[in-house]
This record gives sequence, C-alpha cells and structure tokens, in this order.
Amino acid sequence: MPSLPKPTSEPGDSIEQEHRDGTCVGCGCLCDDLTVKTQSGRIVEVTNACHLGRHWLLQHRPEDQGPVASIQGTEVEASKALEQAAALIAQARFPLILGLTRTTTEGVAAALELADLAGATVDISVSEGDRARLFAVQRVGRVSATLGEVKNRADVVLFWGVDPLTTHPRHWERYSVEPKGRFVPRGRADRTVIVVDAKRSATAEQADLFLTLDPDTQFEALHVLRALLRDAKLDPTHVKQSTGLELDALIDLRDRLKRAKYGACFVEPNPGSSGASARTEAALAFVRNLNQFTRFVLLGMGSGANIPGAEAVSTWQTGFAGEVSLNSGAPRSLRGVTSAETQLARGQADLALIVGKLAPAMLSEQARAHLARIPRVVIGSEAMTSSENVPPEVTLRSSTYGVDTPGTVTRTDGVVLPLRPFLTRRRPTDQEWLEALSRRVREIQKKG
Amino acid sequence: MTTLRIAGGTVVDPANGIAEKVRDVWIRDGRVIATPSNPEEKADRTIDARGYVVMPGGVDVHCHIAGSKVNAARMLRPEEKRGEGEPRREGFRSGTLGSVPSTFTTGYRYAGLGYTSAVDAAIPPLGARHAHHELRDTPVIDKAILVLMGNNHNVMDRIREGEHASLRDYVAWLLQATRAYGVKVVNPGGVESWKQGQGTVATLDQVVPHFDVTPRQILVELARAVDDLEIPHPIHLHTLNLGIPGNWGTTLETLKALDGHRAHLAHIQFHSYGGEPGETRLFDSKVTELADYVNAHPEFSVDVGQILFGETTSMTADGAVGQYLHMLTGRKWISHDVEMETGCGVVPITYEDKNFVHALQWAIGLEWYLRVDDPWRVAMSTDHPNGGSFLAYPQIIALLMDRGYRADTLAGLPERVRARSGLNDLPREYSLSEIAIITRAGPARILGLAHKGHLAPGADGDVTIYSPDDDKVRMFSLPRYLIKQGEVVLNDGELRSAPEGAVHFSQAEYDPDSLREIEARFARDYSIQFRNFPVRDEDLVTAKPWEPEE
Repeated sequence: MPSLPKPTSEPGDSIEQEHRDGTCVGCGCLCDDLTVKTQSGRIVEVTNACHLGRHWLLQHRPEDQGPVASIQGTEVEASKALEQAAALIAQARFPLILGLTRTTTEGVAAALELADLAGATVDISVSEGDRARLFAVQRVGRVSATLGEVKNRADVVLFWGVDPLTTHPRHWERYSVEPKGRFVPRGRADRTVIVVDAKRSATAEQADLFLTLDPDTQFEALHVLRALLRDAKLDPTHVKQSTGLELDALIDLRDRLKRAKYGACFVEPNPGSSGASARTEAALAFVRNLNQFTRFVLLGMGSGANIPGAEAVSTWQTGFAGEVSLNSGAPRSLRGVTSAETQLARGQADLALIVGKLAPAMLSEQARAHLARIPRVVIGSEAMTSSENVPPEVTLRSSTYGVDTPGTVTRTDGVVLPLRPFLTRRRPTDQEWLEALSRRVREIQKKG
Repeated sequence: MTTLRIAGGTVVDPANGIAEKVRDVWIRDGRVIATPSNPEEKADRTIDARGYVVMPGGVDVHCHIAGSKVNAARMLRPEEKRGEGEPRREGFRSGTLGSVPSTFTTGYRYAGLGYTSAVDAAIPPLGARHAHHELRDTPVIDKAILVLMGNNHNVMDRIREGEHASLRDYVAWLLQATRAYGVKVVNPGGVESWKQGQGTVATLDQVVPHFDVTPRQILVELARAVDDLEIPHPIHLHTLNLGIPGNWGTTLETLKALDGHRAHLAHIQFHSYGGEPGETRLFDSKVTELADYVNAHPEFSVDVGQILFGETTSMTADGAVGQYLHMLTGRKWISHDVEMETGCGVVPITYEDKNFVHALQWAIGLEWYLRVDDPWRVAMSTDHPNGGSFLAYPQIIALLMDRGYRADTLAGLPERVRARSGLNDLPREYSLSEIAIITRAGPARILGLAHKGHLAPGADGDVTIYSPDDDKVRMFSLPRYLIKQGEVVLNDGELRSAPEGAVHFSQAEYDPDSLREIEARFARDYSIQFRNFPVRDEDLVTAKPWEPEE
C-alpha cells in the first residue's frame, strides 16, 4: 500500500520544476492552461493565470502545516485519529456529512461511499442560489452548451446580472467574447455583448448595450420578454412600473436576441436573495423559448468549488444531486427535509463529518448551535480557525485542493478536467482519508 | 487456479452450434476450458445444473447507462424516484431506479437479468472521461463506450478536403484518447446544421451548411475508415429523421449508400415509419421493405429499440430530436451542445397503449424481430431508456416466444394498429436458441467481442443459468446463477458479489506524425488544453487504497 508521503523535503524539491497545462480552481473558468513553476516545495511563478488565480496559488504556504491528525486539538498518530473517527461514525445513529465543495469529484465519491456505509445524510454545502438553480432545472429543463460552443459560435452574448470581468477575469478572453471562433472569425468584432445588471459594472463598461435592471424585478422583466416572444400586446406604463424599464427597450432587447444566430446567456442565481428559483426558472424558460426562433443557450458562471463535480457524482451514485439521506438504506431526498440545515436545526444529527470549510452563513443560528454540541470530525487542508471555540473531536488534515491534490474537477458546463498537482503532497487527500475511514467503519460493523 | 464445473445443464451455445444439449461447462481462472478428459477430475466448485438452461452471459449492444446525458436525465427526474430504491447491504451500494437507475444499481440489475456486458452507444469524446467515471461505479458487467463522430468538425473538414488518411488517423486517435470501443454516428451533419439554427438535414444529399459536405459523405467515409482500421465493431449508425413519419425512405437510402461497407443500424424501430411528417393518420409500418433489404445484405445488423408502454426518459445525441420531442410533448427539456462534436437532448416521455402512434411503434419493433430471417443480425434492445428500460427484456422475450401472448397484447391496442402493421400475420415464435442469439451470441459477434457470447474453450467465463419455465418473463427475469469471469456472482437467485468489471476499448493505430496537426486544430477549436483531453488509466480503474504508516 502506498504510504503517507514523508513530512520532510524530497531530494528533488530544490530543483525548479515546471508544470504545464495546470488547472486553476480559483474561479468557475477552471482555466487549464496554467504554467506553474515550483522550487523547494513552493510555487514560485505562475503564468497564464489571471490576478486572482496567480494570487491564490502564490499565497499557498506549505510550511503553515501543523499536525496531520489530532484528537480534541492534540496531535496524534494518523492511525489513532482514524480509529477514533471511525468509532464515532460507526456509533452515530444519524450522522451528517457536509461541506464537500472544495474537493475533487473523487473525494465526494469517497464521502458518498462512507455515507452509504454509515447511513448518513450527505448535503453538499452549496448556496441557496445553487439549490434554486437545481430546483428550477428540475422543473423546466435547460438549453445549454459547453463553453467551446460559445467560443466558436456565439454572435450575441448576454451577461444577465453577472460581471465576469470582475469575478471571472479570463472568461471574456478565453470563452465568451474575445476568442476568434469558427463562426465568429473576428472574435470581439463579430459579437454583440449585452449586459443587464443592477449597476454599470466593469463588464457593462465594455458592452455594446447596457440595461439597468433592479435584481428584484428580474423575474418580471424575464416574463415580459417571454410575453414579447409571443408578440403579446403589453401596456408600456405597466411594464415600466413592474420592471423599471421602458417597453421599447425590452422590445429592442428581444429583437437583438432573436436576431442572434447563436446566442449565449450567462446567469448566476444570487445567493441569499428571495425568489432565486422562480427567477432562474424564468431565465431558463425564456432562453428555451428563444429556441423557437434561433439557437440560444444558457450557462452558469460557476465557481472554482467543484459543485458541478460534486452534484454529478452524487447524482450518478444515488440518483439525487444533493440533500440525500442514506439513513433508511435506499437513497431518499426531499428538499428542505433531508438537508443539513433541517437535520441540525431539529437536533436530529448526532455526528457531523465536515469535509472542507463551511460558510457559516449557510446554517441558521439554531443549526450552528446544534453543530457545536455534537461530535465533529473535520477533514480539510486548513488549520482550525480561531472562530471555533471547541476543537473538533477528530481533525484529519488533507492536501490542498487545486495545489497538490490529484483527481478531477468539473467545469460548470460539465467538462471534466484533470488536476495536475504542482507540489508533492505531504498529507493524504480528502479521498484517501475518507476511504481509510470507510474501511475502518466496515471492520467495526463486521465485528458488530 | 480455481475451477468451476457447471454440471449436466442444458447448454444453449449457438455460436458453437449447440442448441439445448446436456453437457458440462468448465471454467478455470475466468476462462472456459475444455471438459477435462479425466472423468475423476475435481473442480473447486460444482454447480449442479441438471434441468437448468445454461447460456453465455448476456451482451447489450446498445444502451445508455453512463455519461453526461444519462446523468442529466437522473438529475432532471427526482419525481421518478419517490418509490422503493435499492437499499444498501453488505458488499453492495444503495441506489435508485426510475427510468434511469443510478450506476451501482444499473450494474446489479444487469447482472440480475443474466447480462455480463453492456455498451453505452453515444458518448461525446469530450465527455468520455465523465462516462468512464460512471462506468467505474457500474459493477459486475464489462463495459464499453462508442464515441460520437458524425457531426465532428474535424471529421467533416477532412472529408470535405478529401483527406482519407488524415481522417483515418483522426478516428484512430479519438478512439485511443477516449478509450472507446467503436465509432457512433448520429444524424450525420444534421446535428451540426441544427446547431447552426438551420434545422436538421432531411436527405442524405442535403449539404451541411458551412462544412460543405453531405450526410452521405460523412457516413460512407466514416464507415470506410472504420473498415480500413479494422475496428472490430462496424460503424454504429443512427441515421437521419429519427422518429419522423415517412422516414423509412431515408433509412433505405442509408443502407444503399453504404454500398458494401459493414454497418450496425441502431434502434431501427425508430427509423421504419411510413406516412408523412406531421400527419399521424397516414403513419404505418415499413418494416417489410427494410427487413427485406437487410435480409439480402449480410454486411448489416440492427438492434431494435423496442418500445414498452409506460413512463421513460428519451435521451439522444440528436439535439434536433430533443427539441422536436419537447415541442411535441411540451415537457421539460434538457439540451446540451458539445463543442466540435455533437448535441444532446433529454425529454421525459410516456408511451401509452391507447395512443395509436405509440401502439404502432410497439408493433413495428416486434415486426423487426420477426421479419429479420437471420437472428444473428438482429439484437435485443430497447435503446434503454429510450423505448423502455433494459429491465423489460424478459417481457420482449416472452412476446417473441409466444405468439398467443403477442396476439392478446395486440388485441388490447387501438384497432388501427392491426391494419397498419403486419404483426398479426406473423406466426413466428423464437426458439430458446434464437433467444440466446439475439441476447448474447449475436450482439457479441456484431461487436466483434471474440471472447463473449459463447462457451467454447478460451471464451470468458461469463455464464447465465436459467430455470426453465413456461412463464418466460419469470424465467428470464430471475436467473438462478450468474457467473462472471469464473466467479459465481449470482447464487441461487441472489446477487452475492459485485466485482468491478472490465472496460473494453479498441487499439486502432495512427501515424504519430499526424498528431501535430491534430493538436494544432484541437488547440484552435476546443476550450481545453490538448494534454487535458485524453482519458488516463486512473479514470478507468479504482485507485489503490492508502493507509498511514504504522
């Protein structure tokens, strides 16, 4: 069996190494053309990345390490920590596995295997916006494409409430606007870029058309556009009142979109805002209806958190993209019932296995209070933060996603990319920890 | 070395000319061996198969069980999974059913049906890694993928430029890079035309906009490349106009266009319709005309794509068909264009026995099984899950073996079906041997899987043992034993273990000098790096376990 990499410098480490075609998990672009130079166990130079990706990779500090495994904050042998964690998981009646957003697809697969053994509920800690997106797609479907289709075909690009130049710096140059493609040979010059957003963003500055739209009236505006696709006669005053936009401006927008040979609409459900599901559904239905006139596709912007990979593997293994309970044997999922929030807030979960970091905002105060009361096993690359008063029962430190971890990640358009570790990892991956836990839980269950 | 003796069963092994003969089958280290000459020779395990029917493991030549569109369908349809799922038990993972079962469950259910191999017939090259990841989680059965090439930009460019050698190299490279077993063509040129907003193509000679090639050129040149490369499985073809009334003419033209090249025509049921587009009153069966042509041309094989009544999910690389079905049914629709390569459409569908069109589709499928004279060239399929689930195979077997059952079912369908299909006039009943051909021996031969579908020495030790029963649905739904690579995985009707199962792929060779051009075009056209495209070993197999040092 392969053993844990030794926590000392490898002899080859002082030599400068160059890693080409590296995948960056800094944002949803998942640019896979990075060249990363390393020396003495550190990343020393990053090329092709945007400022966000470069900064993220260069700030990686392997020396900030600390113990690989600990029990109640005290360093122990990895095997001892594994035994303790496995015993806790095997004892638990309603274990909950959450987190799982910044890990590889293989890591999530290993968590699902463990959940199946332990009868756990698995809730990938996505935002409310992501949940809304999933629900909306399950209601109406989605007409979409890979980013290379946008690069090669899109002559009209609509950024609806998103600002890629700020949040996804290379989106514009790699996929959506600047690339010269088969059907848009002049790149930018062959594309009409339209931005609809609450304020004049960096992207809006570069657009051919900008419309100001309050996020709270997106739903109304999308339904007006759908009505206009059916040539409905609408009252301009009413439209102005409900959307803040002139009817003529929306008619002009409709006409530009209909004139596209191949249009691409980029959206991102706003986390935390109400009505995200209905709004996403309206956008999906609008783009779908545009296909009665031309080709039009809708894509998300995505993040670097491998939510598409986590949802995909959860779907193929259990049939459900998230919020899946394996507690009664066969997978069950009911929105808002089999969720981490509900299981915690109702005081049902009696153990939490957290893979990665949790954004505190995702759980209610009540849920967080319960989480603090039950035993926690934490697997993650980062040291425990001071915001936690009580150390987890068991902490298993893993390699860093996107830096020294092998495996695959999935782009928001479904394209699966390999991760090429830039550094020799000194710690097991999430996947390896989880698989080792599964083997131990199985042994405990066999002994009965 | 472990040996298994299956003693005294009634062996049905049509590939070796054995039809219902009582004899032993011996397996050593996963392979069938000759029965030892020494009658005292002991096996590690002996299964007393006296009174049972022994066949090679089943082989599915065309289904959709892995990859992005299958998974999109799973995600799209939580409403199908409110019922009983598959609970976890020791050594087995839990899962869900519905029209598109989850991966582990898919493997278990194929095994539970006596199948040991299945081919996913429509994977975009860019989606190959994802498909292999799902297959890695689909246990017991051996698996293979066919990759989509009929709307590939580089394929169409090479054909337009008349660069045959370059096309061959590209096809071979794509198969290698994606670890694919064979070449699939879906609506050649039509998906690309539809992606451009020009609608699909309707005839073999309609020029594909921008690419300046015709569907005829695409399918003939790809068939030629596959033959030249000596890929074991011929071109696997879903031609133009799927599901459109009146499409049988295009299907016949397709067969004629292939002119001596080998080809497998997938889900032929969906391509055998008389009548006119948009006019259901004229809808009728044209199986006689097409089957006559297939009967006279040994280079062709078909699988049926039988429909069964009930709820299912349609899924196709033919994006235009996805949109057509959405417009027809008004139901939710997933469409996903894949750069350089293909489209994809997923739409729920309910086949109703009271619906004339659906009922006629059902009859047309059965006509195909009964009108192709040579059972080696017609394979069992529902185009899972398009026509229905692979779990319905026993029901189809029963319909083929029992004309009374067929007549009874037909009697409950709309009156007009009997006038528009000749099904009622077909007295043919399949023998056990013929069932073995269409469910294992034939598909294995069509695929060119030399070690599958038969039980001669050297064959894979994949064996199904059935308990004979007048109720054919029960007989084929509940095999007594399934042996996979010599291991008894299904024992006395109970699934006992779930080994990983192998992935089969072709090793076609290409000129290494051609890589530079392939790479340059890839870099220009795709949205990922060339080096990040090929499927790697670790995408196929489960990683070795890690343990901390003591």
